[in-house]
Amino acid sequence: MYRRIILLATRNRSGISPIAEHSINITNQQETKRTSVSTCPNRQRMHYNKGVCAPNNRPFSTSTALSKENEESSAPKTGVTEAKVKEEEPRKSGKENLLDLLSAMKVGVTTKKKFQALKSQKSKEQPRVHPESMESATSMFQKATTEQQAQKESLSPELVAAASAVASSMPFKKSQTESELLQQLRKHESDTEVHKKGETNNIGNIIADMKVGKHPNARSPNRPANQIRFDDDGRGYTHDRGVVNEFDAVRRRKSLFTGKRLNIFPSTTDTTETEPKEVSVPSLWDIELAGQIAAVIKHLPRNGFEEMIQWTKDGKLWQYPINNEAGLEEESDVPFHEHVFLDSHLEDFPKQGPVRHFMELVINGLSKNPYLTVKQKMEHIEWFREYFQQKEEVLKESEAY
Amino acid sequence: MAAPGVHAGLQLFGSTRRLLHKLDKCAVFRSYTGSCALNQNATTALPAGSSEEIVLPRKKKWDKIAVLQALASTVNRDPTAAHYMFQDDPYLFPKTSAEFKLYSLSQESGRNTAKYIINTYPKYFQKDYAEPHIPCLMPEAFEPQINDISEDALNERIQLRQVKAAVDIFDQLIQGGTTVSLETTNKLLDLLCFYGDRDPVRDDQPEHKEADEVEAVQEDFQKRQKGRLRKASDLIGVVWRENNNAERIFNLMPEKNERSFCSLIRGMVKYGAYTKAFSMYADLLNNRMTADVHTFNALLAAAPNTREKYNEKWELIVETLNQMSEQKVQPNLLTFNAVLKSLRKCGSLARTQSLQTLNEMKALGIEPSLATFDHLLGIFYKAASSVRGPTDMIFEVLDEIEGKSFVARDPDDVYFFSNAMRVCLDLKDVELAYRLHQLLGEGENWKLLGDAFQQSVFYGRFFNLLCMMEHIDMVMKWYKDLIPSLYYPNSQGMMDLLQALDTDSRLDLIPQIWKDIKQLGHTNKADLVEEVLALMARDKQSPEVQASFADCSLAVKSVYEVGDRGRTALEWTASALGNITSLLLRAGRMQEAWGILQLFKANNRIPGEALLAEFLECAKERRDNDLAIDLVKLAASFSLTTTAKFASRVKEEFLLSEEQKKSLEELDVLSSDSSDSDSDSDSE
Repeated sequence: MYRRIILLATRNRSGISPIAEHSINITNQQETKRTSVSTCPNRQRMHYNKGVCAPNNRPFSTSTALSKENEESSAPKTGVTEAKVKEEEPRKSGKENLLDLLSAMKVGVTTKKKFQALKSQKSKEQPRVHPESMESATSMFQKATTEQQAQKESLSPELVAAASAVASSMPFKKSQTESELLQQLRKHESDTEVHKKGETNNIGNIIADMKVGKHPNARSPNRPANQIRFDDDGRGYTHDRGVVNEFDAVRRRKSLFTGKRLNIFPSTTDTTETEPKEVSVPSLWDIELAGQIAAVIKHLPRNGFEEMIQWTKDGKLWQYPINNEAGLEEESDVPFHEHVFLDSHLEDFPKQGPVRHFMELVINGLSKNPYLTVKQKMEHIEWFREYFQQKEEVLKESEAY
Repeated sequence: MAAPGVHAGLQLFGSTRRLLHKLDKCAVFRSYTGSCALNQNATTALPAGSSEEIVLPRKKKWDKIAVLQALASTVNRDPTAAHYMFQDDPYLFPKTSAEFKLYSLSQESGRNTAKYIINTYPKYFQKDYAEPHIPCLMPEAFEPQINDISEDALNERIQLRQVKAAVDIFDQLIQGGTTVSLETTNKLLDLLCFYGDRDPVRDDQPEHKEADEVEAVQEDFQKRQKGRLRKASDLIGVVWRENNNAERIFNLMPEKNERSFCSLIRGMVKYGAYTKAFSMYADLLNNRMTADVHTFNALLAAAPNTREKYNEKWELIVETLNQMSEQKVQPNLLTFNAVLKSLRKCGSLARTQSLQTLNEMKALGIEPSLATFDHLLGIFYKAASSVRGPTDMIFEVLDEIEGKSFVARDPDDVYFFSNAMRVCLDLKDVELAYRLHQLLGEGENWKLLGDAFQQSVFYGRFFNLLCMMEHIDMVMKWYKDLIPSLYYPNSQGMMDLLQALDTDSRLDLIPQIWKDIKQLGHTNKADLVEEVLALMARDKQSPEVQASFADCSLAVKSVYEVGDRGRTALEWTASALGNITSLLLRAGRMQEAWGILQLFKANNRIPGEALLAEFLECAKERRDNDLAIDLVKLAASFSLTTTAKFASRVKEEFLLSEEQKKSLEELDVLSSDSSDSDSDSDSE
């Protein structure tokens, strides 16, 4: 959020009061990310980049050049001296160019060390950050501007000399150029001072600073708490989430399930009462409810195997584990010997003779036939039994029975 | 195993149980004797004859899909591939969300068409090739087989869910003086109430498809607003009409049991006749009957719609629950989910009461589902109001459900993830979002992410949050992982990404992002394209980056020239032209830059002063006098106020030949009679 705010602030800078120019870019070098913005100590490095509004309204950005500069200049003062060196170059291209350059220069403050020291000290008291200790950012900025005025004369004499040297090289309006240069330099310095103090004071200030840096004019500090607040990130209305809340890293670990209950239902679950109702046939409503729940989690298969699972469920695919007897459910409980040893079914037939011989051939054939079920085989034998019983007379006459 | 031959024989004859029995006996035998066979085979260092029993593993019964499930679990998602459903035809890999929608719907509609044909002309599809028989490939019977007027015919119509036909038969039966059994009448009543006295739309019917697509957009809105799953058919405007067939048949019934009442109440609630449902419930009580749990669930869902004030709503809910308790009806998960859902409409009361409801669930031993938590979040994170101040509910909920795998038990379960991500986005808590995403990977939880729409909402919010809060390297990592295999970002999503790039000073990635933008079909979004150009042109970069930017800017230019796949081309704006020109200039491609400059005139746009100044600067570096003069001419042709200033600069800073000076002066005279230019020529 805050990073985005900065972006907004820098974008709208032409319309916003000079306060908005103090933009802060937070670069988190850690791979593991902070839990929320509030848990600052996680951060290894912070850059405070001070951009001064360019006359041509070029948006301020954190260029790669800047990060290099940051590494080189570990203290604000070296940054300023660098500025001095560069001042000399653009003489010939006139006042505008010079101002351009000056404003494009950013004073980098590497606060890593300071921050780590702060961190160790902070981490002890961190859970108890009080809201009062965090000033509203508006007042913070006001303080910053007053300090800026107070420090007007604090520029080093060398810098002033250098500036006047630059100014004297200008073709015209020398005094004005000089004063403009000095003004720019002072701005750098005072801003740096403010932040040096700000950081050592309280991290909360920085955060409060960033938060209100968004719209310094739009919000008065004593805004009613329950007023609807508009979130600039385009999500619409947002919750009133105080800075305090962001800080309590050690949340009160209260479980969801502690506290009063409604006390409407008796807590003893006697299943006996519900059981008789369960046996009834599921009604259309029940079927549809189940169908609805199944439908919401129905997803298209994500890979070939899932597609095969789907097909298996539909019955379109041969089932795993592969089984030769798939689809022969009817016969699944029938042991093989009932298929093969059919002799026992010939007891009603004569013990010998051509009929017996014929029937033995029949069961021999049947025992080798895999396509008939046992029931069908029995029916087959049954048919012959009836047939021979009907023809008993004829057979007896011909002495075949 | 010892003595395999014996067992093989047994196995052939015996059932599984018998086999196991045999094996057990064998095991017992072995453990007591400690035979040589055991000693030879055993790899364990157990002393022979020890009293420790060898526990044989029970025979594992494999599910028919167990093998496939195991295999499927080994396949990971390929972030570079399109969804599996598009696997068959690489030409039809979707690249944008619109294509995704189109292609997946086409596939679906193709299937439905085939089904429709098969079901409409079943006589042509009777040949059964499959062995064993595959029922789902055969045509379904939608035409009733029994054509006389009888209770059987009625039952068949109910089975086929032909509402109107069933009512006709019922009426004819009643007119003929036949009494229909209570069971059948109840079934008919169920059918009528469920479908709100209308014929249901068949899945494979063409008209259903049309209606579905038309409604789809509205449906999504409704879904989100109401947090309630509705079928398209519900939305066409089925309402409970006064004295419809259900009520008529109900009144005709000589004897009514609980089921008749319950069915009617549920139907009334489903189709919005809430007050009526409660009066029907009163009738039920007057008849000394009790309602079932589903009916109570329906009533609880309807309760907030029958009262005006928040506390009255809640009182009604409590009263209903009390009656449930009095009638010894055991509540279930859906009961409490209905209560929580109703509480969402109860304003400020909801917070405390919802927690108590949750504790009641706990006391009754009912495991909450994702819908329960979704309702909780809905109660604690209302969109626009923040009367009660901050809350930690999302943290508590996540603490509670982290690491658990859920199954769907409530149709509302699928809204949890996208809503929880909304909360994360509102809180701008990226850590929380990671936890939520982690939870999604747990077990089968991904199934509860919902349909494609819910899914894109979830990932859209997630990505938005990442762009806002995360370091650019991580953002790009997620970007590569999510896009486009899971999520097709909209132009706002790409805009967020560009802003993230800007914040972390990784503008050098823009050419790469531009390719994706092109692929995602966002090249017709003017603001996005302009943003790309503006970001590239804003700062001076290193030469290599400038070179790639220049290439990219030419690619962007082509978007303005020809519409992408039949779309209309974008309209040139002055800033776009200016940005492209300065990008080309910085890469030292004067000729092309000059070409762009000509486009200003062609499109009636006016170049900015700064741009021309930059151009002049370049001309100076190259000592290209002709170009400088052409530039001044160009400025003059736009009748810019600064023409004169440029002219004087050219005169001062370039070593011009006499001829060139002359033409320049001519230009001066021609172009300006303004005081500005006069003063300049004076000073010269």
